[in-house]
Amino acid sequence: MHLTRFQINPARRGARELLASPHRMHGAVLAAFPPDRRDATTDGRVLWRLDQRAHQTTLYIVSPHEPELTHLVEAAGWAAAPGDTRPYAPLLHRLTAGDMWAFRLTANPVRSTRKTDDATRSQRFGHVTVKQQTTWLLDRANGHGFTIPEGTGKEPDVAVHSRRTWRFQRQGKAVTLATATFEGRLEITDPDAFRHALAHGIGPAKGYGCGLLTIARMT
Amino acid sequence: MTALLLRLAAPLQSWGTSSRFVRRNTDRAPSRSGIIGLLAAAKGIRRIDPIQHLLELRIGVRVEQPGQLERDFQTARTRDGSESMPLSYRFYLADAVFAVAVEGDQSTLDGLSAALNRPAFPLFLGRRSCPPAGKLEHGIHEGDVEHVLRTVPWMASPRIRQCHRQPQVQLDTIIDCSPGSAGSDVVRDDPISFDPRHRQYGWHTVAHRPVTVTNPDYHVDDRDVHDPMDLLGSVS
Repeated sequence: MHLTRFQINPARRGARELLASPHRMHGAVLAAFPPDRRDATTDGRVLWRLDQRAHQTTLYIVSPHEPELTHLVEAAGWAAAPGDTRPYAPLLHRLTAGDMWAFRLTANPVRSTRKTDDATRSQRFGHVTVKQQTTWLLDRANGHGFTIPEGTGKEPDVAVHSRRTWRFQRQGKAVTLATATFEGRLEITDPDAFRHALAHGIGPAKGYGCGLLTIARMT
Repeated sequence: MTALLLRLAAPLQSWGTSSRFVRRNTDRAPSRSGIIGLLAAAKGIRRIDPIQHLLELRIGVRVEQPGQLERDFQTARTRDGSESMPLSYRFYLADAVFAVAVEGDQSTLDGLSAALNRPAFPLFLGRRSCPPAGKLEHGIHEGDVEHVLRTVPWMASPRIRQCHRQPQVQLDTIIDCSPGSAGSDVVRDDPISFDPRHRQYGWHTVAHRPVTVTNPDYHVDDRDVHDPMDLLGSVS
């Protein structure tokens, strides 16, 4: 597994096209791999996430194979910042139960339900409030091998920000996607399940920049 | 020289100097008569009492955040509800903040400082419906009005300071000056008497000069604290 960080130059037209549509960004990320290396393996799958700050837009990619980012540098980057790819496996193998990490996750919190009582199939509906989105993550934490401990104030130590509803075109049809970024502190309970969550992602819409969980040192 | 520093902030302020009849305007900054009236109210000076000693104070205003002009269309009826009173437009400054430096001798300023912390009459910013928000009195500082308004940190609300995103900010000041100074304006808001039976205002001269102060909430460091690459060691 590999973790890649790539700085996006938002002044370039190519960058603006990618930032406007997760569908296009998905295509650009997959184009970093030869066709036979795009599918999920037992180790993991291609996941990506955009971290947008006031003066910095960063693309993170987790992938089973090493990406080739030349096309992204040409269309949406800086030649002086070609991207930084590092092996992810050493960290994954080092994880043990009881470790505490700071985490960040952009996800697509949804619930599946029938739109009307007489509908024949269920649909996904995005969670839109902070409370619903937080509950969605807390419900899934155990299954992914971690818990979110209580912070000051007896609340789970997680904050939701950058909530937005994306609308973009995919093959002429409109896609609507409610995303939220979770940030906080976690404790590993089941290292195997947690490794799986890091490498395979959490929740739906993984092609569209959702589900990539990263951990970092606590500050 | 010493100067007393005030911070005038409120959801609404209104500083009229020239309104007549049903259109009650506001200036974009506190008026000298309004500030002297505020100090007199704190001291418990009634409208008919002499205010000579307050007129010797020299006053300077710095616009910390200009706020927005709001118009209130007001209807009112007589007390028994039978007749309508004249319709009026009242103008307010919403969400504005001003720093006010009052220059005078130490003993006068000590008295004013104590009075502002225990005011005799309720204090308001230009109009009775505009009570001040937050801390009003910010201590006595060494130096004249110009020096104080050039050196005190920016007192805008934290949100405004954080949104500014520049290391420095240029603020307008309006400071009393001697007649005939270069680039000065003459305005008629020097109160001679607040007596409701014969209110009187004199002319005085003010100078408008911008000053540049540093923004205490500007931080160059915009790095992302969440750094997942940090755990992975150097590039192999």
